[in-house]
Amino acid sequence: MSLVNADLSRINKCFKSPSWKPSAASRRNKNAKALLAEEQKVLAERQQQNGSSNKNFMDAANYFNLEAPPSLVPRKWYCDITGLEGKYRSVGSGLRYHDKEVYAVIKTLAPGVDQQYLELRHANVILR
Amino acid sequence: MTSTPYSQLRSRGDTPVLPPPLVYKIRDAQPTLEPEPVTHGWKAGLPIAIDLGSYQTRIGYTSSDLPSHIFPTLSSKLRDRKISKTYHLVGNDIYLDNAARQTARSPFDGNILANWDLVENILDYSFSKIDVQSIDRVDNPIVINEAVGSLFSQRKNLQELLYECYNVPSASVGIDSMFSFYKNGGRNGLVISSGHEASYVIPVYNGKGIFSKSKRIDWGGHQSSQFMMDLLGMKYPTFPSKLNQAQSTFLVQDHCYMSTDYKEELNHFLDFDGLETRERVVEAPYTEVVANQKSEEELAKIAERRKESGKRLQEQAAKMRSEKLAQKESELIYYKELKERVAELLTKRDQQHLLETEGFDDERALLRTINDLEKSIKRSRKDDDGDENESVEVEVPTFPLLDIDDSELDAEQIKAKRHQKLLKANWEARQRFNEEKKLEKLKKQEEERKEKEWREDNLSSWIEDKRGKLNNLLQKKRDRQKLKEELSNRKSLASQMRMKSIASLAAETKGSKRRRANGGGSGSGGSAGSSANGATGDVDPDDTFGADDGDWSIYRDIVNVIDSEAEEEERQEIEMLENSLLEFDPDFSIEDTLEAEMDWRKSTIHMFLRGPREFDPLSQAHSYRMHLNVERIRVPEVLFQPTIAGIDQAGITEVSRMILLERLNADTRSSISKKIFLTGGQTLFPQFDQRVRSEFTSILPTGAEFNVTRANDPLLDAWKGMAKWANAEESKDSFLTKSEWHEMGPDYIKEHQFTVQ
Repeated sequence: MSLVNADLSRINKCFKSPSWKPSAASRRNKNAKALLAEEQKVLAERQQQNGSSNKNFMDAANYFNLEAPPSLVPRKWYCDITGLEGKYRSVGSGLRYHDKEVYAVIKTLAPGVDQQYLELRHANVILR
Repeated sequence: MTSTPYSQLRSRGDTPVLPPPLVYKIRDAQPTLEPEPVTHGWKAGLPIAIDLGSYQTRIGYTSSDLPSHIFPTLSSKLRDRKISKTYHLVGNDIYLDNAARQTARSPFDGNILANWDLVENILDYSFSKIDVQSIDRVDNPIVINEAVGSLFSQRKNLQELLYECYNVPSASVGIDSMFSFYKNGGRNGLVISSGHEASYVIPVYNGKGIFSKSKRIDWGGHQSSQFMMDLLGMKYPTFPSKLNQAQSTFLVQDHCYMSTDYKEELNHFLDFDGLETRERVVEAPYTEVVANQKSEEELAKIAERRKESGKRLQEQAAKMRSEKLAQKESELIYYKELKERVAELLTKRDQQHLLETEGFDDERALLRTINDLEKSIKRSRKDDDGDENESVEVEVPTFPLLDIDDSELDAEQIKAKRHQKLLKANWEARQRFNEEKKLEKLKKQEEERKEKEWREDNLSSWIEDKRGKLNNLLQKKRDRQKLKEELSNRKSLASQMRMKSIASLAAETKGSKRRRANGGGSGSGGSAGSSANGATGDVDPDDTFGADDGDWSIYRDIVNVIDSEAEEEERQEIEMLENSLLEFDPDFSIEDTLEAEMDWRKSTIHMFLRGPREFDPLSQAHSYRMHLNVERIRVPEVLFQPTIAGIDQAGITEVSRMILLERLNADTRSSISKKIFLTGGQTLFPQFDQRVRSEFTSILPTGAEFNVTRANDPLLDAWKGMAKWANAEESKDSFLTKSEWHEMGPDYIKEHQFTVQ
């Protein structure tokens, strides 16, 4: 019963404009990737309109120039299995490991599991 | 010498009975029974603040101190097939129904608003829950948040929704973390805001965000809980219940904390000492299976029955074994006689004839049979070795018929004679066997005596010898392990050698077949020998395979299986050596044994998976437990080292350093770096502020004064700031009215201190 009471389509929405119809463009379902591509286009267009001399516009924050740049400090490595310090790298799979005990575990991993571990840090091999 | 398990030796005396471990239940989202209540108090013109976050939406009239409704930004479409009805459930109402919870979707894709139907659902729900009563319009100014650097299309869609769908008179858009900073009285400072989908570092000068110098790190609470879920999935691949997103989020919230010195803490996290206080044991819900309890009497009865039947079986097996052994012995004698008889015959032809009547192809086959029999008898005797209560027959049975010639007996007696002959052979075999056993025993005693003498004479050389033997065995074990590993790799030398042996064996079979075919074709071989050759196909004068017993090991090598029997034997031998060393070698302690080496107390993996206690694989409770240890600091650490989770971005410290030292001029820098402000759900991790303090000490010039403050309420201060600001004088000119919107066109906003551009 409570489901019926909670159902949004049955709730009184007097505050909505009766003539409201969303524009088709806004409701086409796009994922983030498509939206970002669109945004890039818009940005390029506006830049052209404003002229590249407009420093203000170039400096303004947008989705893309906000992104933090890659790190410049030397990367630290951690064991892929335990998360401890990972000084060594397994030659076959590329997994990082902490000590010989973890290495013994790596050697007995079922095929494919090494890639799953690598996927945790987006270092897996992606076949296309 | 009886062997004592290592764990017993170790636990003798020095391990007190441990109190039960502290186990946390894994929290899950609680189902609700009633729909979200409605808040009354609507008045035309009263501003409404909406904090539309990717984790939660908070909404309420700015006249109150707190948002009246806080709910997850989720919407669910639920279809009941039985009554063919569709329900649209939003926010807290999705917890009314389990299926609704499962199908709930967020309008956000990452930190971008992507699904505007769902946004509309959420706003409908919000306005209806605060009981907006104006007709065809929401007659209230709106303050709503957006992310730094949100897309043009997002602003456009949001304005379209507000001005066209809800007909709001005016609206203002701002950055949530700026409102939170404002609420906490900040003017200058560096705002670190870590939310559900992303984290931001924003310098603020004179109350105004410098967004062009800000940076975003693509890591937030959502990613954290996903990371936790993936980590645990890999850690416990056979965990009996599946973790859902809500549970994983609770795990992160309840058990993770920010390490103040990650490297140092990590180095000792899994040490045995104190691990119990560092780790958190969490338990998934399960229903206990209670085994049928039987009364003591019943149990005793069952044990008795089992014992009896076991005894009977043992007896039967022993009887069968001895019968079989006797039969084999008599067969052996018979074949040995046959061998002699064959040797007595003069011509080859006669020999062959005799052999063939006895069912052998040639003499070699006979020899092989004899050899096999001898071996199997030896083996079964060895098995019986431990049987001490073997009754020794004192009485010598007589076999009278054997001395009488066949011609003096009738058919019946001949039969009896044959039987007696067998019995005699049997008896003799047994005698021989007992004799041998006695000898063996003597030999053993002698050996032991010698050992003792040696030991007492020259302990060091004895120890050296034993240790050498032990090391040999251990080395063999290691080598075997290595070989096994190498064989699993197709390209390894060991695998290639194996393939080579297989190939050469295959080639040999082929070759001999060809040879045989040639011989038959020419018709030159007409002798009995050649016909036997043709029949069996494995007799080739050049083929010496099998003459040496070692030849057969090639099959063992290529079949590539573990010889469990041999391994068990080896293990026993190791244990025996270890035990005698333990007894007599003062330098050989219990810590040096193989079992001690394999002890779970020394295993990092055990500490990682099962904590500082023994794991009982049969215990249901144990199998439903997860041990959070390294994960507790590993998951929050991603904010400072995004590479841990494979994010190719700099962490909070590096980004802040870059912004402060490279992108701001000295004046603004000095005033901004004095205050580091933390807001957003992720900054709720315990010790987050301490970590930030120590990190900033390292990047700011020595002696630079700064303080790190966390928002009063990192989750709600954004909304509170919106409410405060909407009622303040300074916001008067910052609302964009509907007519202005019509005039200025899409995605124009009125700039104020908390907006971008």
